[in-house]
Order: sequence, then C-alpha cells, then structure tokens
Amino acid sequence: MKPADIEALVDLFGKSGWDELHIEIDGEELFLSRDSRARGAGAGAVPGTAAPMAAAPAAAAVAVAPPAAPPAAAAAAPAARPAHWVAIKAANLGTYYRAASPEAPPYVTLGARVSAESEVCMIEVMKLFTTIRAGIAGTVREICVSDGQMVEFGQDLIWIEPA
Amino acid sequence: MGINRLFVANRGEIALRILRTAKKLGLETVLAVSDADRDSLPAQMADRAVCLGPAQATKSYLDIGLVLHAAKATGCDALHPGYGFLSERPELSRRCEAEGIIFVGPRAGSIKALGDKLSAIALARAAGVPTVPGTDHIATVAHAQAAAKEIGYPVVIKASAGGGGKGMFRANSPADLAARFDSASREALAAFGDGRLYLERFVEAARHVEVQVVGDGEGAVIHFGDRDCSVQRRYQKLIEEGPVTAMPAALQERLRAAAVQLTSFAKYRNAGTVEFLYDVTRQEFYFIEVNSRIQVEHPVSEEITGQDLIALQLSVAAGQGIGVTQEQVRVSGHALEVRINAEDPMQGFQPRPGRVTGWAPPAGPGIRIDSHIRAGDLIPPFYDSMVGKLIVHGSDRSAAIEGMLRAIRDFRIEGPKTTLALAAHVIGHPDFADNRFTTRWLEDKALPAYLKE
Repeated sequence: MKPADIEALVDLFGKSGWDELHIEIDGEELFLSRDSRARGAGAGAVPGTAAPMAAAPAAAAVAVAPPAAPPAAAAAAPAARPAHWVAIKAANLGTYYRAASPEAPPYVTLGARVSAESEVCMIEVMKLFTTIRAGIAGTVREICVSDGQMVEFGQDLIWIEPA
Repeated sequence: MGINRLFVANRGEIALRILRTAKKLGLETVLAVSDADRDSLPAQMADRAVCLGPAQATKSYLDIGLVLHAAKATGCDALHPGYGFLSERPELSRRCEAEGIIFVGPRAGSIKALGDKLSAIALARAAGVPTVPGTDHIATVAHAQAAAKEIGYPVVIKASAGGGGKGMFRANSPADLAARFDSASREALAAFGDGRLYLERFVEAARHVEVQVVGDGEGAVIHFGDRDCSVQRRYQKLIEEGPVTAMPAALQERLRAAAVQLTSFAKYRNAGTVEFLYDVTRQEFYFIEVNSRIQVEHPVSEEITGQDLIALQLSVAAGQGIGVTQEQVRVSGHALEVRINAEDPMQGFQPRPGRVTGWAPPAGPGIRIDSHIRAGDLIPPFYDSMVGKLIVHGSDRSAAIEGMLRAIRDFRIEGPKTTLALAAHVIGHPDFADNRFTTRWLEDKALPAYLKE
C-alpha cells in the first residue's frame, strides 16, 4: 500500500457510515476503527503473520465499497476477496476483450479451471492484439472488466483462486 | 474545427503548464501518466489521468501506440506532446492526423524536414538565411587556402565522414593549412576509410541566440522576440534570458526577420524556436537548427510579451490562426529563467532523485514558478532531473538580475541537492552582469571557479 492509497482509504472510511475497516493487501494490513479501544482487537490479533484467513471475517462486515478514486489499487482493495486469490493485472493500457472475436466464445467464464498457460483475455493497443495468459493454475473467481472496456496499467482484470 | 478535450502526453512541469492553459480555455483534459506519476500534481489537476504503463518511459510515455490508444479511448480530439518524449517524432504527428486527432505541433513533413540537420540547413539556404560559411569537399591545400581566404581566418578543417575530432584542426593562417592538411586527411582516412575534408569558418566567441516564433501552417509567422541561452554545460542550457542584449539593434532585427523568413518559407505550423550561433567577433549570426516544439525556456518569451504560447499552439493546431498580429506583440522589459535540476554540481552533476522534504518557492511581482513539485513529493529516478523553473521579469536586465538573485535567496528546497546555488553564483558573477560571456564561459571559467570554492 502506498501512502496515497492509505490516504484514499482513510478518506473513504471517514465519509462512510462504517465502524471498522480491515484490509489486507499483499501481506500488509490496514485496520481503521471509530472505536479507539478496538486497536488491540483488530491489527494486534494477527501479529506479524500474513494469515490469509484473518481478512475474511472483517471483510464480511464491510459492505461493497463504492470505488471512489480512479487508481485501480485503491478502488479494488475493499472488495471481499480471500487473500490467497491472485489478480491478473493489465501490463499496459489498452482495450480489454473477453473473446478472440465477437463471434467466438469467451476465453474464460466464472468458475472455469485454468492452467498457467491458459489464455484468459486479449488486450488491444491500436489494433495490436496481445493474448493474456493466466500465469497461474486455478479457478476463475471474478472478472472485473467488461468486454471492450479501456483498462489502465496495473488494473485488475481477472481474479484466480489458485489450485 | 475546435478542440473540446485535450490529451496531454507528457509529465512534470510542462504537463502542468499545458493543463493550466487548457483549463483557462475551458477545455476538458486527460493526462497520460506512468505508474510513477499516478499521484503527481498534474495527475490531480487533469480532469482525468490514465495510466499507460510502468515507470520506464519506453513502456509508457515513449510508446506511441499506447499514447494514441489512450487518447482515442478517452475521447480526446487533440493531443499536446509537450517537449521531449514524443514531441518531435513525425510518426506521432502523422498517426494523430490519420486518427482524426489534432496534433498540437507541426505536420509530420515539417518535423522531418527541420529535424534533420542537413536538410534544415539546406532549407535555410533556400530561404536565404545565413548558415556557417563553409565549403564542400576540398582536395588540396591550394583549394583550402583559396576557400579560407574568401571565408576568413580562423577556419576549421573537418573530416567529411565523421566526427570525434579525427582529421579536425583549426587554422589561423595559410601556413597552418599547408602544415597540417595532408596529415589530417591521412588521419581521416585511417579513422573513417575516407580521407575527404571540408572547411568551415571557426567561430571563436559564440553566443547561442534563438527566436521564438508561431506559424499558422499557411505561411503566416510572427515572432515573440528572442532569447539568449549561452550559459550552457555540455550543450545543456542552464540559464536563459530574453530579449537578446548582446547584439546591435539592427542586427537583432535581422535575426528576428531571418527566423520568420525561414519558418514562413517552410509553411511552419506550431510554436517553434529558430536557433542561431552568434559570432561575437565578426558580429554575424548563422542558422543552426529549428526546434519544432514548445521549449523549456518558453516562459522567457511569455514574460516579455505577455502572450500565452500554449494557447497560441492550440489555436494554430485547431486551424484558428495565430490570433495576434506582429504589431500587437511588444517586447517589454527583461526576463531570466533558471532551470532547477535535482543534480549535484559538486559530483559531476549526478542526478539526485528522492524525496523533496521541503519546498517553499518565492512569490511576488515579476516572479513566476513553473513546477509540479510539492513538499513531500518524490522525484522519480526514471526521467530528467528538472524539478522546476524560476522565471523573473524586470524592467530591464539589471532589474531582472537583481530580482532573480533575491528570488533564489528566498527559495527553500529541502531534500535533494539542486543546481539553484550554482545558478545564483552564475547570475551574481560580474561577467554575467557585464554580459561578457560565450557558450564556453560556464564550463571554462565560471564552473571551475565555483567548484573550487
């Protein structure tokens, strides 16, 4: 998490009606609460370890967050995803396509099993098409972008639950 | 053909500068950023910022496909390339045109014709603009002596096939030519496999002077005065000022007219700079090259004319003409610009990226800061090290110098080392006050003295 991401989250939290916010990204945790006594109970409960399961109970309490800021990292963070899921991210700006052509079936759908070599989508830059591979074996759990949408560098495209 | 939504394909202070004018004109703005610049001030100021790619410029700012794709996908109808990066790539101009996006710059053909040194010099000759007097290949000492007699000593002999000083020598007299011509030819032959030589006038004391122009692409060009950028280190300008004050008035008029003549002849569209070498001893100027983009030092011209050059770029790009006449452009007072680079002059001008912990620029009448830096910002190591420009306008040159020295004293930058203290040393130097310097002065005299202190 970058300072700006944390700032954005604090801001988001301040404007929300939530009592607590607990986020874990890449092993880094952020615990926000309106109750000053909650400090020990939140972050302190998982000292030092990046226990993937710790995020789950807190996440359940958090409603779906409206993505407030454009930076993909900050906006995507509050979603309720198990920590061991892995995002396939855009390697550059471009247009996302879920299928090789309008007539073709999509590369993947929710629940599909993929191998590291499986093609999962296509990114177009000025008529140059690059096929994106999963890079990891597992199950497609979430598709974050719609067909034909412009995506930015680093944006989450697809979440995979590793096998 | 108007512009509604402008795509800014650059970063740093020039991105901010372009955004300011776009906002003033009521245009919507989209800024391209790399991953390193997501949180930059320009990214916050643009209506929208889109991340092209990772920090490396080749995978973000320098990727024409990404830039064009982003401009199209965000619905922009015009693209401003700033300076550096893709600003003088004919391909970007051509492809923008093919995609129906207004390129805020010259047509691809003009960038090509002016970007290549030899073709630019040929164009200048065709337009009747003086270039450094010289010869084609010369075969014998007698030929060289005859040519030198016409051109005037001192002259310099150069190898046709290459540079690096091989086959090159300076001659002050016919005897010098006779003594060294054959050995230079042999040296060139050994180095390049080609022993042919040519001869050029040697400019002993040179100043770098340039004229700011804006052309409408149809042959109408007006100038916005001239600038002197003779304080240089390794061809990098450190301090710029305008108007030129080291030249007789009549000659200065001819300089400006030559710049207009050349760019008008080329039917140049965009803001541009025509650069000249001024031979102080002979009191003559020679065309060097045209920079077909907005330049770092454009604020000098804006301060002495009160014009907004970015607005004029947008106007001519959109086919709406220059909008001002030569009579309306009046040069008044004097302006100095200092480039503030995060570099350490004591360590060979090594870049010093890092966190800017304190940033408190001066303010007041006549002071202008063009910078994208805020306290707490990180200067990323991936791009050039300029963190901003300090521009001071005064009623005349000495007032501008005084104002600049005061402004530098009041400028507080904490964190990285910068070139600001060196700028103060240069501007406070008696030679600078007396306007007694050439393009060699900083490296030969002022810098060594500064480094010894």
